[in-house]
Amino acid sequence: MKTEQFKDPAATEPGQWLDGSLPANVQLGHDTVIKGDQAFHRFQSKREPAVIIGEHSTMDGVHFALGTEARVEIGDYCFFSNAILLCEQELRIGKYVVIGWNATIADTDFHPLSPAARIQDAIACSPLGKGRRRPPIAAQPVVIDDDVWIGPNVTILKGVHIGAGAFIEPGALVTRAVPPRARVLGNPAQVVGTV
Amino acid sequence: MSLAALNRRLPWDWYQGSIPANVELEGETHLETTYSFLHYRSEETPGVRLGNGSTVYLGTMFDIGPRGQVRIGQYALVHGAWIICDAAVEIGDYALISWNVVLMDSYRAARKPAARRRQLEAVPGSPRRRLEAAAAARPIRIGRNVWIGFDCCVLPGVTIGEGSVVGARSVVAEDVPAYTLVAGNPARRIRAIANDEIPEAI
Repeated sequence: MKTEQFKDPAATEPGQWLDGSLPANVQLGHDTVIKGDQAFHRFQSKREPAVIIGEHSTMDGVHFALGTEARVEIGDYCFFSNAILLCEQELRIGKYVVIGWNATIADTDFHPLSPAARIQDAIACSPLGKGRRRPPIAAQPVVIDDDVWIGPNVTILKGVHIGAGAFIEPGALVTRAVPPRARVLGNPAQVVGTV
Repeated sequence: MSLAALNRRLPWDWYQGSIPANVELEGETHLETTYSFLHYRSEETPGVRLGNGSTVYLGTMFDIGPRGQVRIGQYALVHGAWIICDAAVEIGDYALISWNVVLMDSYRAARKPAARRRQLEAVPGSPRRRLEAAAAARPIRIGRNVWIGFDCCVLPGVTIGEGSVVGARSVVAEDVPAYTLVAGNPARRIRAIANDEIPEAI
């Protein structure tokens, strides 16, 4: 089958969102492309800037679900397809990082662990909670170093640091730091080798 | 009405696409949408073959490379799988594949970071900015009458034997024998499934 070229090669430089107008606090480097009409559907960040992506990166079907205080930094030559980035605080991703289909990265617990605080949170989030503040919710930055490969259906939880060159097998649930060039698999993810 | 008469379009389709010429539909099949072929680029004949009585629902994506071939057996039900195929993915007759399942015969990515960098540097100049395969593919085979629960991953080179069941959210990294229940991430054997628990096929 003949593959279709982009209609206008110039449309891919400088950085562009092909399916909408980019929020003002999102900065894309030269030749970086975001595809997918849902990319900023859940984008609420007020940070300046909120998202910085380097050059020559491809974000195909990625969801940038950022809370009001969230900040995401992504390096050059990254390739993410249909990844879900759930960020309340900070997500720092290096260069040459690949993230597979339906992978989720979250830097937050979304709700408090304490049952009493969770009731407060349920009320604050409800239609009756107008103006009520949500209780504090645990969040810790996620840091992914250069050259990391993350497979489809992977989940990466808050506070995780993934070392350079690590290989995260499909479906892994990563709850702890991964050493550089480690290959991890499972739930919870365990080191099964090196690359 | 025949597919040719419909110009390889589906009358109920919400997506303005058509079924690629090298996709074969045997007898009566149900394909929900041609959106499933968004990432399809197989040049093989057939690139995808759907058996008589098989069903492919929305959410299924045929992410098939130029040399990939997918065969879906008779009465098989694919309820929304992401099929990553650069060589061969076979789904047997009567197999049930749940939603958000990943069936992959290739990692596509090179294992070594240096090789992966060269692969990524080729993306911006490639047609449709795809990450083209830089790793050898190893065919996967899902046997007849296998049931795979939702959110599972089946990794390259894996064969799942006839009549076996894979619990939801499992990651299958090794072969599964016939008539065996496996679950977990990575998937482990839970128990055998007695042959007589399997009803006679139609």
